[in-house]
Amino acid sequence: MALRKTYILADGVQVRRETFGLLFYNYRGPRLYFLPSKDLFDSEFFDGHQSAADLIGTICTRHDWPRNWIEDRVEQVLTLLESKGLIHGQSIC
Amino acid sequence: MANQYVEMGLSAPVNVTWEVTYACNLACIHCLSDAGRRRAGELTTTQCLRVIDSLSDLNVFQFNIGGGEPFMRPDFLDLMAYAHEKGMVTCISTNGTLVDEEIARRLDNELVYIQVSLDGATPASNDPIRGHGSFNKAVKALAYLRKRDIDVSINTVLTRLSFPELDKLVDLASDFGAKLRVSRFRPSGRGVRSWSQLNLSRDQMLDFSLWLSEHLSVSTGDSFFSVSTEDRRSLGLNMCGACKMTCCISPDGDVYPCAFLQDAEFLAGKLPREEFSDIWHDSPVFASFRELEIKSCESCHRFDLCHGGCPAIAYHTQRKLGLPDPECLVNCVTVKPLRSKAV
Repeated sequence: MALRKTYILADGVQVRRETFGLLFYNYRGPRLYFLPSKDLFDSEFFDGHQSAADLIGTICTRHDWPRNWIEDRVEQVLTLLESKGLIHGQSIC
Repeated sequence: MANQYVEMGLSAPVNVTWEVTYACNLACIHCLSDAGRRRAGELTTTQCLRVIDSLSDLNVFQFNIGGGEPFMRPDFLDLMAYAHEKGMVTCISTNGTLVDEEIARRLDNELVYIQVSLDGATPASNDPIRGHGSFNKAVKALAYLRKRDIDVSINTVLTRLSFPELDKLVDLASDFGAKLRVSRFRPSGRGVRSWSQLNLSRDQMLDFSLWLSEHLSVSTGDSFFSVSTEDRRSLGLNMCGACKMTCCISPDGDVYPCAFLQDAEFLAGKLPREEFSDIWHDSPVFASFRELEIKSCESCHRFDLCHGGCPAIAYHTQRKLGLPDPECLVNCVTVKPLRSKAV
């Protein structure tokens, strides 16, 4: 994960916020992916307007968790979602 | 399937079955809706647009469109176009008889899936169930849709008549670059009258279970998990999603747990008089359905695979909720213990 990347949903993928975290829907299938991320991510993050670094900063202001832990968790999730073809990273020019 | 997250309660359905009209130009002997003539009180175009708005606002991902025959509505393609503008996926179940080149052109959108109904792989086997000439028209529709590269499947209701046709239907679907989807026959609508005549025997149900485990590319969409084997576990169909992941809107705006539970006692609310989100979150019918437990199944070794099966089948055959699906594999196996490798 590059901190200066933004992330957008892959073609055919939608996402919405649920109490457990995020629910992804991919009409190309497999249809559903449940991400138990609690309030770590807002679905709007995947609009591509906020970088991963910005997101980590936002989480740090909301929680007193160690920054390293937050960075690891965010990286883990973004890598997982990319590997499942649900999101794409794009570098900020 | 992440059942634990579903059980926490979703903010909205994942998909909604929407029967957009009772009107149909066929009279299939197993029709769950007893469709035929358009009925008074069906939602107007404006009301339908409001339905789409309200579900889109809740981020419902997908409409499963049925009827009746959806293309009997003069405004149907406009409604679908509106849903697509909102980014909603539409899975349209049709008998195919009204689909021509122009309709296929207008449906050519990556957010569209089409299920064309066929209950036999030839006119001789299909038309006695669905009506004279229906096979050839449906196959023409498949060709038009295939030409446009629209995502399409053949949908077959499993009955004693269609069961021997399944292999040929898989091949027919393949000819159109499509897959076969098998739906469960339920004793609702005209299916009440034809149930005893058309429903599979236990022997056939066991054979079908084996057939399914050997045909993993065949989809079953709705609630065959009561007879699904371990082989299909990875496909994720292991529980009834009614009121948890899905629900049904009737042509007149009534909201029910699913398309097969539309008796008055299951009426959860009415659109557009009530807000869909209020119905989803606050309806006592939905609340009680979400708490439904098939207690007598919980000690069964197959419980994780089926969670008691389809409540609608149990209700229609036994007139009570909370009872096990009577077509459960364990029940079948109890009768014929040596027939299935799946046990």
